[in-house]
Amino acid sequence: MNSDAIPIAGVHHTARPTWKLSDTVHFYRDLLGLPLVHAISARGWGAENHADFLHFFFDAGQGATIAFFYYIGTEPPDFVRPLDDYRYRASHTAWRVETREQLLDCRTRLERAGIRVHYQVRHEVIESIYFDDPNGYPIEITWQVRPFEAIDMADARRSIEAAITLEKAQRHGGAAFNTIEQVWQAKATALEQELGSF
Amino acid sequence: MPAIFVLAVPEFMPLVDQARQRSSYTVSGPKNGYYKIDAPGAIEFERRSLGFKPAVWHGALTGGLLGQIECFDNDRMRLVDRVP
Repeated sequence: MNSDAIPIAGVHHTARPTWKLSDTVHFYRDLLGLPLVHAISARGWGAENHADFLHFFFDAGQGATIAFFYYIGTEPPDFVRPLDDYRYRASHTAWRVETREQLLDCRTRLERAGIRVHYQVRHEVIESIYFDDPNGYPIEITWQVRPFEAIDMADARRSIEAAITLEKAQRHGGAAFNTIEQVWQAKATALEQELGSF
Repeated sequence: MPAIFVLAVPEFMPLVDQARQRSSYTVSGPKNGYYKIDAPGAIEFERRSLGFKPAVWHGALTGGLLGQIECFDNDRMRLVDRVP
């Protein structure tokens, strides 16, 4: 992290609402084996319509926790209902393991506990397994094959700058930005200018 | 002639290795972290022979494309000169 970055040091908690208290505790504490380490129980405060609630935390390693809110006496609003759609699943947390053996061990233990693992996917620098919790929230466990290096950062900058240029052009009445091919072309054009002859 | 840039990291190296085996393909670099592959007429790759899993295959042109996609499905890509 560069010296201008805000001084954050990893994840403290992720938080999502649940309307399945016992199922959620059973899943995270008993099946995944993550200790329940903290529980806030409070009367609703702040927003006028705020329900009384429990806010509880499972230890997820290295100071991170997985947290839930349970809003007592309420029904889930439509906007939190899980959807079978990649855009819904885009909001997820991926939990880290250190080795491929640990990833495979996770898969074995999940399946032994009756939890269905949807996929195991090898990406460019990570390999992941995907499953759902009792609330329908997507969970990923991932193993990173190699650390990110300066070459990855430089390439990421070039990809995102090419895409931003296309997004800006579209916003200002230019060509529609609707394919990744446009990014690859814009990036290559910029790279050719930058690198000159090989 | 169409060309692609390939980031010089292990996960994309099969593109470079395979291009080097073909007499009509030219592999240059790496320069500033990129190989450049070009070929007269068209650049073609097939996913299985590269040993690419689908997630890597579908991002295989991340380094950049000088040309355009004529075909890019789950198993095969063919890249040609860009038609203005």
